[in-house]
Amino acid sequence: MNALKGLSRAREISQNREKRPFELREEGKTIIGYLCCFAPPEIIHAAGAVPYRITGRLGDSTSEVDSFLEPYGCPYVRNVFSQSLKGRLDFLQGLVISHSCDMVQRLYGIWTYYRPLPYSRLVNVPHQLFPWSQDFYQRELVFFKESLENYCGVTIDHEALKESISLYNRIRCSLQELYRLRGGKQPLLLSSELMEVLIAGEVLPPEEFLELLNEVIEEAGARKQPVNYGTRVLVWGSILDHPQLYRLIEKAGGQVVADDTCLGTRFWNQEVPAAGDPYESLKEHYLVNFQCPRTDRGTDPGRFAYLRDMARDFQAEGIIGYTISFCDPHKLDYPDLRDYLEKCGYPMLLIDDDYSLQNEGAITTRIQAFTEMLSGQA
Amino acid sequence: MSSEMKKAKRHLQTTKKMKEMLPRFFMRMMERRESDPVAWCMVGVPPELLKAFNVLWEWPENFGTLCAANMAAPRFIEVAEGEGYSPELCSYVTNTLGYCRLYLEHGEPPPETPPTGGMTRPSMMLGSGFACDPRWKWFQAVGTRYFKVPVYSSDPLSPPWDMDINDPRIKEHYLDLLRRDFQGQVNFLEEQTGKKLDTKALREILKLSQEALWYWREVLKMRSHVPSPMGSTDYFSAIIPQMYMVGEQEAVDFYREMYEEVKEKTKKREGIVDEEKYRLIWFGLPPWYNLGMFNYLEEHGAVVVYESTYNVGEWIDLDPDDPLEALVQRTWERTALMHRYGTETMPELCNPAVFGGFTGSRLLNELKEEYQLDGAIMHQTRSCRVMSFGQIHTRNRLSELGIPSLIFESDMADPRHWSDAQVKNRVHAFLETINKDSNS
Repeated sequence: MNALKGLSRAREISQNREKRPFELREEGKTIIGYLCCFAPPEIIHAAGAVPYRITGRLGDSTSEVDSFLEPYGCPYVRNVFSQSLKGRLDFLQGLVISHSCDMVQRLYGIWTYYRPLPYSRLVNVPHQLFPWSQDFYQRELVFFKESLENYCGVTIDHEALKESISLYNRIRCSLQELYRLRGGKQPLLLSSELMEVLIAGEVLPPEEFLELLNEVIEEAGARKQPVNYGTRVLVWGSILDHPQLYRLIEKAGGQVVADDTCLGTRFWNQEVPAAGDPYESLKEHYLVNFQCPRTDRGTDPGRFAYLRDMARDFQAEGIIGYTISFCDPHKLDYPDLRDYLEKCGYPMLLIDDDYSLQNEGAITTRIQAFTEMLSGQA
Repeated sequence: MSSEMKKAKRHLQTTKKMKEMLPRFFMRMMERRESDPVAWCMVGVPPELLKAFNVLWEWPENFGTLCAANMAAPRFIEVAEGEGYSPELCSYVTNTLGYCRLYLEHGEPPPETPPTGGMTRPSMMLGSGFACDPRWKWFQAVGTRYFKVPVYSSDPLSPPWDMDINDPRIKEHYLDLLRRDFQGQVNFLEEQTGKKLDTKALREILKLSQEALWYWREVLKMRSHVPSPMGSTDYFSAIIPQMYMVGEQEAVDFYREMYEEVKEKTKKREGIVDEEKYRLIWFGLPPWYNLGMFNYLEEHGAVVVYESTYNVGEWIDLDPDDPLEALVQRTWERTALMHRYGTETMPELCNPAVFGGFTGSRLLNELKEEYQLDGAIMHQTRSCRVMSFGQIHTRNRLSELGIPSLIFESDMADPRHWSDAQVKNRVHAFLETINKDSNS
């Protein structure tokens, strides 16, 4: 067993994300990778397989993908595919990609054409929330379940799925505790630390992750002094699967007290209802409630009210937006979101990046100016 | 930004006459009464349905191409960038957003508007999720920021390339979404116009639409002849009726006349260049502000004989008895057709209007023989990733068939990314490659 515990262990896992899955594969486990948040890991877990969320490696070279993907493709999609081409994901027996946005959906075709796996599945996801769109997604989840049953040679009944949902709900509960430790008046956990924990959650089987979470809650809860007195900010934006941005913010005098990102709050913010049809519950959580701008929530600026509420609840003083090059859904929302939040009294700073944070000095200076402006205002 | 390739020469008499037809197409808005509802529409909304409701329309995508061709786009795009919209975003979108901003400032189309006229204020918007995310986010942004009118965005989805679409459960799964989405669009139009859908009128409109498309498909097929009787400058002009006017007698007359002209040219073995040295296939959106690029190719004996973009594809039989269901079936059948050709690169091809992007691996095998292709040109549009993404894969497949490709980069509406010298250099080097390949 691993000698490290709690936050040190989370850090080790986040820096060496492939180690544990390769071990699990050696142990004979089936590992299914999934990308984006619309293919519920609960279903993969209920099939007896280990769900592994595929992530990128910030700033990694992606020249291998030039023979398959355009340079103007989303740098995150390019980065993720380059991890496969580099052989770092060779422990995967299966690949599930959900139709979250154009580029991720298109990656599915290229990936499965050039690097076919024993099992692969695209989970199609409507952009609208019409009743027929919701019905479609719910059926899609059942088809996904059936394909896993065929591949894994198991039957996933409601009971098995509900057990997985309940396990993930326990994780959600523990994570909310960590969110409170991070976002409280006296923060006992750094956002960069929390991010390492979240990354470990993408890598580890849920049972192991739950164990780790309990260790971290104990460790952070035992801290006597707040870890950071920086300016309180909320981070919104495209995928963040590394602690570097949060570290830059911390270095520049900020403390991220809340986030609206897909590995963070969007995924874990509330429990999946345990009662009733589990597919309907998953549909509610992953399609209806999941706050990614790839889903149409109409033209009323009130669609951003959840962010205002989050900023208010966590006493954030301003918002830092982080967008990755070519991320159409986030970039098309940005001017409306910025104006809405500013009207609500929350200034916003946008960091646009090519998933490298290469320009660290310039970014830090901008964040510093922003946090100084916020604290001067307070 | 000035370019020698701005002016494009068309070869067919029929398309040259479009200059007379198009003002009528754009000017019909001038005759509207203030109280008439006006829908801003996204490609993917069947023009037949709008016609059945007799709704006046504006098409911001088409307006983007016009602004590009008239060099008004850079100004509108810059205004949108000033609002905080990223320069990476689709230039059709930012063109619209900048236009909206200026429209509201002036209370009417701003002075930079092209001479064919600007888009008038909408009373509703009909978006579409066909092809890409920006196409529904576009109207969400317009509706949030500029014109606060009701929006309905249709959301047709296509099955992934490795899905068995012959499985009746899968087919029904997709058809249920499509059918109820169509009905949702009809309900929205009924609500907004206060009129019920006139099924009888839609039936007749569909017949006209089928007739126009029959002639258009036949025209395109004749381009497989050597020499090809038609090139891309004619093609990209002639798609306008297909996109916005099917269901009208005018479109039938236009394509019939074109059919007669192209048939005659084919019979006489009349090409568009003196010596047709290279027969090319085109992928991606064209540079609307420099369509003369195709004439430049022609000067070197290179003729584009097939375009994968805006392609109507093959004939699909329809039973217009239940015209709404006929529209559903037409959409599904075309999606299934493209799926059979292979959609590993372009999965979002479920288009309720009458065309799609035909690029599949299996289709390339057929096209190579049928159109006797020597090479491929792919336009990688910086601000339209959706039409560009997959081109490298297509290049890989073409290379297996022995067909060389040129991928060049600029934009469909924003001329700031264009360089004559660079394009010329690339074209020359490419044509030399084809020569070498055919000599070896």
